[in-house]
Amino acid sequence: MLESIVSYGLAVGAVYALIGITYNVMFTASRVFSFTAGMLGMLGGVLGALFIDQMGLPVIVGLVATLACGAVIGVVTEIVTVRPVLKSLEQHLYVLSTLAFALLVQQFTAIEWGTEARPFPRLFKIGAGFLDQQFWLPLLACAVTVIGLELLYRRTLIGRAFLAISEDNYAARALGLPEQWLRIASFMLAGMIGTLAGFSGGELLLAFFGNQSILNFYGFVPVALGGMGSNRGALIGGLALGVFQQTANFLVGGVFAAVAVFAVFIVVLLLRPEGLAGALGARRV
Amino acid sequence: MTDTTAQTGNGRPKGYRSTRYEGLLPFAILAIAGVALPLFDDSYIGLIATRACIYWILVAGLNLVVGFAGQIAIGWVALLTLGAYTTSVLTAGAAMPALPPYLALLIAAVAGAAFGVIVGLPALRLRTFYFAMTTLGFATIVTQVALAWKSVTGGGIGVAGPVFPSPFEPGWGFYYLCFGLAAVATWMTANIAASRFGRSLVAIRDAEVAAEASGIAKPLLLVTVFMFSGALAGIAGGLFASLQTYITPDAFTFDLSILFFIAILIGGRGSIIGPLLGTIILTVLPEFAAPLVAWSTFLYAALLLAIVLAMPGGIADLLDFKNRRPLERHREVVPRPEMLAHLLRGEGSILSLANVVLSFGGVRAIDGLDLDVRPGEVHGLIGPNGSGKTTTLNVISGYYAPQSGSVRLGDAVLPPGAARARASHRIARTFQTPRVIGGASVLDNVKIGGTIDGHGGFIEAMLTLPRHRRDETALRERALLALSAVGLESLADVRADRLQHSELRFVEIARALMLSPSILLLDEPAAGLSAEEIRRLGALIKSISRAGTSVLLVEHHADLIFDICDRVTVLNLGKVLAAGTPDEIRSHREVVSAYLGA
Amino acid sequence: MSVRRRQVLTGSAAGAVTLASGLASPAIAANEPIRIGYLPALTGPSSSTGVAMNRGTLFAIEELNAAGGINGRKIELIVRDTQSDPTKAVNGAAELIHRQKVNIISGPGNSGESLAATPLIARENIPQLHPCWVDTLIDVKKYPMAFRNAPTNTQIGAAANHYVVDVLKRKKVAVISDTTGYGTASVETYVPMLKEKGATVVYQANIDAANPDLKPDMLRMRDAGAEAIMPWSVNAGFLARICNTRGNMGWDVPIVGQTTLGSGQTKALLEKPEYWNKVYSNNFKNCCYGADGKLPAQTAEFAERIRKAKIDMADTLLWWIASGWDAPRMIADAVKATGSSPKEITGYWNQLKGWPGVYGTVRFTPEQHNGFLDDEVVMCEVNSLRDGAFNLAPGYGS
Repeated sequence: MLESIVSYGLAVGAVYALIGITYNVMFTASRVFSFTAGMLGMLGGVLGALFIDQMGLPVIVGLVATLACGAVIGVVTEIVTVRPVLKSLEQHLYVLSTLAFALLVQQFTAIEWGTEARPFPRLFKIGAGFLDQQFWLPLLACAVTVIGLELLYRRTLIGRAFLAISEDNYAARALGLPEQWLRIASFMLAGMIGTLAGFSGGELLLAFFGNQSILNFYGFVPVALGGMGSNRGALIGGLALGVFQQTANFLVGGVFAAVAVFAVFIVVLLLRPEGLAGALGARRV
Repeated sequence: MTDTTAQTGNGRPKGYRSTRYEGLLPFAILAIAGVALPLFDDSYIGLIATRACIYWILVAGLNLVVGFAGQIAIGWVALLTLGAYTTSVLTAGAAMPALPPYLALLIAAVAGAAFGVIVGLPALRLRTFYFAMTTLGFATIVTQVALAWKSVTGGGIGVAGPVFPSPFEPGWGFYYLCFGLAAVATWMTANIAASRFGRSLVAIRDAEVAAEASGIAKPLLLVTVFMFSGALAGIAGGLFASLQTYITPDAFTFDLSILFFIAILIGGRGSIIGPLLGTIILTVLPEFAAPLVAWSTFLYAALLLAIVLAMPGGIADLLDFKNRRPLERHREVVPRPEMLAHLLRGEGSILSLANVVLSFGGVRAIDGLDLDVRPGEVHGLIGPNGSGKTTTLNVISGYYAPQSGSVRLGDAVLPPGAARARASHRIARTFQTPRVIGGASVLDNVKIGGTIDGHGGFIEAMLTLPRHRRDETALRERALLALSAVGLESLADVRADRLQHSELRFVEIARALMLSPSILLLDEPAAGLSAEEIRRLGALIKSISRAGTSVLLVEHHADLIFDICDRVTVLNLGKVLAAGTPDEIRSHREVVSAYLGA
Repeated sequence: MSVRRRQVLTGSAAGAVTLASGLASPAIAANEPIRIGYLPALTGPSSSTGVAMNRGTLFAIEELNAAGGINGRKIELIVRDTQSDPTKAVNGAAELIHRQKVNIISGPGNSGESLAATPLIARENIPQLHPCWVDTLIDVKKYPMAFRNAPTNTQIGAAANHYVVDVLKRKKVAVISDTTGYGTASVETYVPMLKEKGATVVYQANIDAANPDLKPDMLRMRDAGAEAIMPWSVNAGFLARICNTRGNMGWDVPIVGQTTLGSGQTKALLEKPEYWNKVYSNNFKNCCYGADGKLPAQTAEFAERIRKAKIDMADTLLWWIASGWDAPRMIADAVKATGSSPKEITGYWNQLKGWPGVYGTVRFTPEQHNGFLDDEVVMCEVNSLRDGAFNLAPGYGS
């Protein structure tokens, strides 16, 4: 039983962590909480199944194609739902525009791809039991993403530009950083991370349009608890959530597991609204 | 609820006419259509219309939460589910003896109210997006519980809905019940919208800082609104169960939550008629063409995106004819200080700060400040940027609690960090950037200032009982007086976001005057004004102080300061650099070198 | 067309005149088409059966109209997709009855939707024929015009229970379902039935079908000593996960349960083909291969016609298509024999004996509106799937 909790919990937790990181990447670039993170995860699974199973493309090509689609959708998200809204004074409107866009994509997927969960292809011919690829693929994807982002933010110019924009928007712009392009680039990056999450978790979660709502919520919990913008928090929070969820499943089963997760979420948030690692909001007067 | 034009008394602008009746027209049309519907003798139309009425009962309440208070409560179907199951289980008589449907409906309302508060409580602590997520979580949890609690809810099999006895039996009778309740819900929410509660909700949404300064208590108000909204949703749930005849958990889909939420946003926030039309449209739309049914949620989402991007004001904006009338181009603000006598009481007190120290982290923003502002005096506060002027105002207003020192009003010590209580001490202020509610009229914005003087409670407002009506009449008169005092009475009904920047500054002053303040704090009111406007502003401020109010004026315009101030304090790096009469300050060596220049 | 005439009347001043017209009971002239209102779930979470039945229904209507209709009258099928949503089922039923003025309603196909729509249809005195299994949907007193051309849940469960307890001789059973109305109703009904047969129900649960990991529940079942697993759900993903988890655990127990266990959709979601071994599901006498490896003559002929019409069977079950095909023909036979008014149709059905459907042989009486006899339900071995039909389960004396 313990092996099942650990293997399954860490794997699904890694998917949640990646979705949380997707939220973070979109947030740090634009201060926007976007409802599209779960959508990207869902598309990762659906597109992967579409390219590899239905169209018969080789695994690597399918992965690249999926990530490319994720990048494109990320850019479209920025142009259609974020940029027009940031210009207006009503800051919260982005919540609505991203929600609307995410719903559009979800409904379209439900109608075109179908409402049944469809199988996700087996990617490689290795692994079985607790070391099966469906368990370590998400963890691998997670590790690659986290390390990649660290390198990006610390070592490359563009990464440091991302950090600058998120730290102090005005100063960065005053220095001449092209805020618009950087924002597009980070939404593109977020699109790729989100679809990678869904792709690597495909064998676990299947190609199912309903994954969007599940990932939206469970991908948000680590971010809310760990602090918006903190990738470390998202990682730890995601893995912890996965294991906690599995444990609850084993101990009490189905409904009560969901209630348990939600109760913990609410209680922690009410005690520390900014998250366990986050910072309080800035001066508002 | 509505005012007529026949009024006398000073300060009443000529030619002012009420436009309330314009707003009633759409409601009247819908009412007539609704009552006459059975004439079509088409039970299908009856079913759809009943459904629209039921959804509207829920949306009317949710409108106050989403449209007015601005909370993104997406998972509201949870309350519909609760109401539906409560009513059905109570009338089915499985777990306990069967109750009559009307009583069950009432209990569902109470349950809905309680649960509404639970779902809404996180809103007091969490940011918008976080709160949205928690409501989604609640929606899932409620459905899961309905599935799991088989002994009561029947689990996946579900339970039969309540059947109302004659004359409200299934069919047109039931339609009239739902229509009647929908009409009542419309009336109640419209009353609240037009009351100080509705205005306060919008103020919390769009100008929270100003709302606090006006004494609006956000937690209590939000809890009240969530309770009311939950009650309406509970009733809607019971009616829904009756319409469906039989309810199972799979009837309470996420799509319904989306429908409710989007109806409000398509309708336009801060409006009643908008979301009403939105609900009707979204309920009826999928019925027009069979292929449309599968795409209905897709269409809702597309509509929402279109509205957010192109027309954030929604249908309400489209129907807002009176704000399409062009405004006079070259308007001038001409205050009428002679009106102030009707507004101000002349009971000033001394405002004294003693050795106030405020640090942010390692930075001392205010470093031992002593300041006295006497009644009938205009006291100027000047200094370079970053010297702590606005911070001082914020300490007096109660937004920041100083680490040491005290702020006194007369003999009473003002509790530190209690911004909301300042209004009851008759301390009013304006802000560095005007904080007005763009989507509300100028008059409504000014009325916000007088919120704490209202006596009628929420229920009195909901039912427009006499005490509430007296409140509103008095408030309206007073607000018009305040507007005449600052010279803006002709723009009373205009949406605030159509005004020029300089006019907004005067609107803020009018709002502050509503409190009959004994202390008035002005934060750079002359910024962005023309020379002539500054002169008039100066005359107005002087008149306010001569009427007995103590005025503390933070400004950069040296001319204005030296013109009207009785005394001036100069701040630098959080400390007092110099204090005295304008003449003394003007020639003070250090002040000249640090700030004024030669 | 008569419908447009009525639509013109509504909404005009003449609408006031129709105030007195009261109930919408259609008075159909002799040459007017027979209008069948159809409420399948073609989209949404519970749509797999609906999509398959729809194929059969459309095919039947085509054939009937190609043969000249019924007594010279064409059959018009008016479809309203319920999207697996009871709300839309109710709306659809109302529209079909009042707007489209249908003679009869076929469907809805899912229990949750039927539970909501049936009372409304009954109030309007429109005959209804539906294939749902939940027992409470048929009640001669409350819904005198509702008929079911399908087995009841009790009959289904009895066949499965008989196979597990009497044939396979397993006494300790785990009974599980998803969380839909159908699933929970099944478990509620079958557990007492098993106990009556002398079996012990060592594990009983309703599991959220969206839960991707069934390991915890399966381990609990094994620990409780279950010798057979009986799942009740129409969700192919859920059923496939049960087979996969059992295979991954290397746990050798038979899975005996809902007919969807044998569908092409379930098969597509299996991790290994051998995970489909020792899985037995409900099926129907007419739709199974006999000892000689052949389908009954009528069914074989039906399957041939389906193949010729290029109707896809790979991702579904033959009996679903057959069920959809039988319903319009049963309606057509009633109209042909008597007429298309509600009284005539229900009068004909109330004394229907031995009606030869492909799905099953149907009989009704005025007191019994459940059309199937017990022995119509059989158990089959799912990994023998061939062209949508199966072999009978081993040891199944029938």
